[in-house]
Amino acid sequence: MKYSLILVALLGFSASAAMATEVKQEAPEPTNITVVCPTGSCEKAPVVQKVEVINPIELAKVEEPKPQTQKEDVLDENQDIIISVVGQGVAPMNTSSPAQAYALAKRAAVADAYRLIAEKVKGVRIDGQDLIKNMMVKRSTVRTSVKAMVRNANIVETTFKEGLCEVEMEIILSHSDFAQ
Amino acid sequence: MRSRDGNHTFSLRLCSVILFNSLALNASEFLISYSYIVKDATLYNETIQISKAMKKCSGTPQKSFIFDTNGEKDLKKIISKNNEDFINYIHGLGLHIIHNDKTKNLQHSSFTKLTLKTTCFKVDFNDNFAKIAPLK
Repeated sequence: MKYSLILVALLGFSASAAMATEVKQEAPEPTNITVVCPTGSCEKAPVVQKVEVINPIELAKVEEPKPQTQKEDVLDENQDIIISVVGQGVAPMNTSSPAQAYALAKRAAVADAYRLIAEKVKGVRIDGQDLIKNMMVKRSTVRTSVKAMVRNANIVETTFKEGLCEVEMEIILSHSDFAQ
Repeated sequence: MRSRDGNHTFSLRLCSVILFNSLALNASEFLISYSYIVKDATLYNETIQISKAMKKCSGTPQKSFIFDTNGEKDLKKIISKNNEDFINYIHGLGLHIIHNDKTKNLQHSSFTKLTLKTTCFKVDFNDNFAKIAPLK
C-alpha cells in the first residue's frame, strides 16, 4: 500500500513536471532559447542564448549595402569640368629621320587624344554582330564610331619613347560653352 | 576754322584714311581646309588646302594668329615656314572628328579622320608679320 502511494505520488510529480515543460514549449520566448536539463543533473548552469528571430519575409526586404558608386560629374554653372586623356600614336616604319618619326607619331597621338575626348564628352555608338552556324560562332564583329567637334583642347605633355608617342590632352568644359 | 598751327584735324583725317585704305588693300581672304587620317595609330596622310577666295566672305574675324613673314606675301610659303605653329592654331579653332573602330574575329583596326572644314580666313599682310583670323 505504501509502495503504491509512493508510486502514485511519483507519477503525479512526473506528470506535473511534464506539463510544465509542455507549457514552456508551447509559448517560448521568441528571442530566447532555453536549455532545460531533463534529468536535473547538469553540472553547468543552463545557458540562455539570445537568438534574433527574423521573419523570412522581412529578411527578403533587408537590402544589402550597395557599393558606393562614384558621383557622376554634372556641368554646374559655378564649376568647370576638366577632362584629361592620354592619346597614343606610333611612327610609321619608313621615316627618313627620328624627327620626322616624332612629328608623325605626335600627330597620330593627337588624333587619338581628340577621339578619346569626343568619346568621353559625346559618347560612342556601338554595333555588334555575331554569326552562329551549326552552334558555332563563325564571325564576330564589333564596330564603334564617334562623330564630334572638339574645340579648345590643350596639349599638356608629350612624351616619345621607343617609337610610341603619348600626348596628354585636356579640355575645360564650362556651363557657358553650352548655354543657349 | 583754321587753327594757328595749320589745319591739324584735316591732315590727321587724311592720314588715317590713307592708312586704313592701305591696310584694307593689303587685307585679303583665303579659303583654308585641313584634314588628316590616322589608321591603326599611324598617320596615313595630311592635307592642307589654301586658295584665294574668289568671292567676298561674310562674317567678323575671330581668334587671330600672327605669323613672322620677313616681307613674304605668299600665304602658302608663310604657312609652310610656320607649319607647326599654324597647325596648332588650327587645332585650337576646332576640328571635326570621325572615328571608326572595327574588331572582327578578335582582330582590331581603327580609322580616325580630323577635319577643318573649308573656312574663310582674313589675312592682313604687313612688313614683317601677317595676321590671320577666321571669319564667322
